[in-house]
Parts: sequence; structure tokens; C-alpha cells
Amino acid sequence: MTHSGSNDHDDYLAVAIQAIASSGATGALDELGWWELLDHLDDPDSRTAVFAVFRAQGAALADSAALGGIIAHPYLEEIGTPSASVVSTIARNHARLGMVHVVVGEPAGRHLLVDQPGLGAALIDPEQIEMRPIAVAGGMTLNELVIDSSTFVAAIPESVAAAARARSTRLGRIAIAAEILGAAERALEVAAGYAADRAQFGRPIGTFQAVRHLLAWGRTECVAVASVLATAVHLHTAAPANYDVVLKALAGRNGRHVCQRALQVLGGIGFTEEHDHHRFHSRTLALDGLLGSSAELTHQLGAQVRTAGELWSRGAMFGSAAPR
Amino acid sequence: MSRTASADSTDARLDPGRYAAELAAWLEERPALLKEVGTPLPNGAERVEAVRSLMAELHADGWSRYGWPVECGGLGGSIMLRGAMWEVLSRYGLPCMAAFEHLEILAPTLAEYGSPEFAAAVLPEFLAGRELWAQGFSEPDAGSDLASLRTVAVPDGDGFRISGTKVWTSWARYATWCLVLARTGTPESRHRGLTAFVVDLRSPGVEVRTIRQANGTDELAEVFFDDVVVGPESVLGDIGGGWKIAMHILSHERGTYAWFRHCFLVQHLADALVLGGPHSDAALGNVVLDLAAVAAASYAGLRAHAASTPLGPMSAFTKLLLCAAEQATYDWILANDPEVAIGVQTDEVAVRRQEYLFSRIVTVYGGSQQMQLDTIAKQILRLP
Repeated sequence: MTHSGSNDHDDYLAVAIQAIASSGATGALDELGWWELLDHLDDPDSRTAVFAVFRAQGAALADSAALGGIIAHPYLEEIGTPSASVVSTIARNHARLGMVHVVVGEPAGRHLLVDQPGLGAALIDPEQIEMRPIAVAGGMTLNELVIDSSTFVAAIPESVAAAARARSTRLGRIAIAAEILGAAERALEVAAGYAADRAQFGRPIGTFQAVRHLLAWGRTECVAVASVLATAVHLHTAAPANYDVVLKALAGRNGRHVCQRALQVLGGIGFTEEHDHHRFHSRTLALDGLLGSSAELTHQLGAQVRTAGELWSRGAMFGSAAPR
Repeated sequence: MSRTASADSTDARLDPGRYAAELAAWLEERPALLKEVGTPLPNGAERVEAVRSLMAELHADGWSRYGWPVECGGLGGSIMLRGAMWEVLSRYGLPCMAAFEHLEILAPTLAEYGSPEFAAAVLPEFLAGRELWAQGFSEPDAGSDLASLRTVAVPDGDGFRISGTKVWTSWARYATWCLVLARTGTPESRHRGLTAFVVDLRSPGVEVRTIRQANGTDELAEVFFDDVVVGPESVLGDIGGGWKIAMHILSHERGTYAWFRHCFLVQHLADALVLGGPHSDAALGNVVLDLAAVAAASYAGLRAHAASTPLGPMSAFTKLLLCAAEQATYDWILANDPEVAIGVQTDEVAVRRQEYLFSRIVTVYGGSQQMQLDTIAKQILRLP
């Protein structure tokens, strides 16, 4: 969706969308060799393909354990365990329950990696622990587990986990941003389609400038996220520090804005259970709440920038040799 | 280290990262130069003069020739090198591009559509700051509806006689040349009957009247053409092909230019960070997100241009993102530097006030925000 270099993104996205449509998200991961691609994130094409799957999942409201898979991967690299065998939980500070760990998608027999900063990371058999399902509209399987710190056994010692943690968070944030983008883009497409069909005053509402501008702003907000996402994937480890925070905060903020604009175009029907809009909206909200919400991260970013006295290392974009 | 670069395809500086690092080193060796161009100058003429003197030095040592074709007096390489040059200059204290904005709005079109002899004659003069350019598109009755413009070019011998009025002509007061969009077809011919002309503003019959702007600067002007005689060589592109030229320029003004402008916004915000506090961190974070969005989108625009991919309607997105970032940046600066609103005590605050006020009008120039939204609705979303 960005000007260029986007062709790769569009191609991989089309392949991922097709695979999910024919085999479902979990089947698509196997079909695309997705788990094996996690071992080749240093290769730009593999990276692009890996993240395209998240964007496609968002667009299709599809569900898999991919997010936990990519978050677990840096830990597994450290200890040399095969990629497909473990998915990571995501820690969340629950306003009422304290720290809880969330599993996204069905782990399907895979062990759960639970990282507790300061203690290291445990590998837990999901059969041996109680998982509490959380109902989230938007076709997302979510389970919560409460970890008892007194019986916590770190299979991966703190020193090893610490080395993987930042990398893991960064990959997770890029993946979530891609999935929010996919959901927001599709929500906007649905609204644009509705505007072309729905007639009032004897003509399609999409002919009214007020409606056209709502949708055009929504598209612009999607392009903003797509551009930062493409840059994050392109620059990878050469991206400026904090770039994952920027991307995740922008995706959450713009994703919510896009859903709001789409709902305004849809009118009442968009506020029903029958219509798909609320599923895209709920998916966006749930994803925004993982690995730092846009509200938290935007504030954190402002504080970091102000105290550092500098926005980001701006030469970074030219640091990686010639453009692709 | 060699002081003067040469046209050489094995030149290591054709790599943008290497180029940026070497330009930064060159600037580090010249603290006096940086101090001079970085001094806040509320007076428009003094500001243009300061940037002009820097451009002369950059041209003499070859830096500004990178990213331009060798046939036009450049040293080769892509637009990425120009993107790197202005990024480094902004980081080292240059406050704005001033009249040299047109190097990134107009000049790419001169290089693309002008004959090699023409481009080789005018581009080095522009790069060295000796002969600047203005853009004569808008008229009193043709703003967003550019295709309705009424300035006429009537055939006369081999050449033409141009008559009409242009307005909001940026940098005309400082320019030697003006790219004039004029009607060579019938009054009803709309965009099909337009031709682009290169007009020497020193010609008899040309009058430039500076517009005193609401922010106190003077980059805009009215330009009157009264039977101005131009030769056949002054036609840029084809007769009747003016719309194509205009669209090429506008795709740069809306698309790639966002990269160049955003570099300065980042620096303006960085310079103002000391004024902030914990209370304004969330707002600051949002500004950083807006700047990151335009940085990424316009960087993609540079890469597309480097790969010779036309930006087309995609440039509407970068224009909208730039405007949003520019207004957000100056909203935050105003909130944290109330002197911008109340009084002008120092040159620094005076310039900041000019920039704040200018940021209010950015959604109008280069095609209004509403025109960009219409373009996206029609050409991207394909609404009925």
C-alpha cells in the first residue's frame, strides 16, 4: 500500500489471504511453511512473508497461534528448540486481577512459554494448567492463565530470557500492528462498499462529499500505518530504537480512528451484531491492548523523546545502503 | 579526503548512507558556516540570502550536485542523495529550504521535460543559488480549479506573447525564472489547451508585486504579464502538454517534497523539546507518531521516484500526512511556547511565530486538503 517496495508486500499479502481463505489460518501457516520462515527473519523476503500473514489474519478475522509463535521465537533461538513447538503467552497488567498471561489462538498441543522478568521463562504443558477462555468478538481465541509465582520453575534462566526479551517484544509489536492494519483496512473496504450501494436522497451515499472525505481520511490513516510497517520490516534490526513503539502506537490509534470513520459511514447497521463491523472493531481493540496500548505507548514515547531531547536517529533510513 | 567530487559511477558517495556521513563530516569541519545559517532570521530576504550562500558553498564542493543527472551538470545518483542532503542539513541547523524548495518541486520537472542543453544551462545556476525559480500556476479565478486558468499565450512569429495575471506565485520576488502555465487552446479547452512556458522575469512586460503575508514574510507574489514576448525555446514539453507538466510538478510538491519539509519539522520540534514537561508528553507522543507517518510514507515516495515509478494519486496521501504532521508539530510548539501567541521578543520566537502561522495555511497550498481527499475518494477508493 506504500508507493514502492510495496509490491513485495502486496504479493505476499495476496498469497497469505489466499492460503487463509482455502485452509484456515492454522492450516495456512503449515501450507506457507510459516514456522520455518521464523528461522530466516534476517532475509527481507522471509520477513515480509512472515508479517503479511498477520495482516491477512486481521483482514479475514482469522485466528491462529502465530502471534505467540513469533514472540516465542527469540527465546527458542537462544536455547535451540524447534520453532513450531512452543508459543508464548503475553503478559498483561489486569486492572483487577494483577498480572495475567494471555494465550492468543489455540496452542494446539504446543507448550506455552511464560516469561517472568527477573525470574526467567517457564515452559508449561497447556494440559497441566487451567486456561480461562475470554470471549472477545472478532473471531479471536483468547485464554487467560494466572501464574503462581511461588511454584514457577524457569526452564530458561533469566540471563538467557533477558537476551531475548526486547527482540521478542519488538517482533510481537510489529505482528500486532500488521494484524490491526489488516482489520482496519478490511473494515474500511466494507464501509466503502456500503457507501457505493446504499442510496439516500435518490443516490448512493458515496457520492456525497462528506461521506467520501470520511472514507478518504480512513484510507490515509491506513496508508500511514502501512508505510511505517513497511519501513519497520525493511529496516528490521537497523530501525531506530523505539520504532516498534512508534509502529504499535500508531497502528492502535489509527486502527481505532478508521473503525470510527467506517461506523459513521455504515450508520445503524454497523452497530448491530449481525453486521461484521463490530468484529473488526473488537479485534482492533483487543490487539491494541496487547504489548502496550496506544495510550500507554504514546505517552511513553513522548516522555522518552522529551527527556532524550531528540526524536529518533534520523539518519537511520539512509544507513542501510541503497534503496531496494 | 577529496574536497571536490567528480562525476564517476564508482564514486562511493553515490551510496546515500556514505554520502550522508561524509556531508556531516564536511559540516563538522565548518562550525562558522553552520552558526551563520542556523541563526534565526525573521527577515525573508536575509533568510533567502543565508540559504543562498550555503547553497553556493555546497555547489562549489559538489554536495548539491549529487542526485542530479550528469547531463544536467549533476554528479549522478538518485533522489535518495538529495533526500539525504537536506536531512543532514536540517540536522546540522539549517532552518528551512527557503526559495530552494523549488529544487525539489520544480527542478525535477525541468530535468525531466527540458532539453539536455536547457537543463544543463539552468540547473547548475539554480543549484549554485545564482538564478532562482518561481512557479506560476494559480490565478485570481483559478485555484483548486486550475484547469480554468485564463493567462493566454498567443502565437507570434516563431514564439508567443503571454498576457495574464498569476497569484500566490511562490518566491517570485527572488526568482529569475518563472514556469508559467498558460492557455494556448480555446477558452473552453480546459486542461487540454494548456502549455508550460519558461519565462525570464526580467523581460519587458513582467511586473512582480510582493504579497505581504499574514505571517509577516514575503515569499508569495502577484505576477502580471502584459504582452510578454517569449521565443519557441521557452516551451517546456509539448504545446498543449502543459497539464502533464503541471501534474508532474504537483506529484513532487505533494509527494516527494513531504520528505524534505518533514526533515525541518523534526528539527523544529527537537529544538522546542526543552519547553515541554510531563503534562505534554502524551500530546508530544502523538506528534511523533504523525511525523513518523509522513517520514515513512514520503521515504517510500523517494524510493518509488528512484525506481522511476510514477507516484500518481498516491502523492495525495503524503500531502495529507505532511499537513497533519506540520499542524500537529506547531500545535504542540504553541502549547509549550506561549510567547508564540503573545509577543515577539526574540528572533527565535519571531521565526517560530512565522512558522506557526504558516502551518495554518499548509492545508491550502499545492492543492487544498479537500482536493486531496477528492482524489483519494475517486482514484483510490473508486467511489461512485
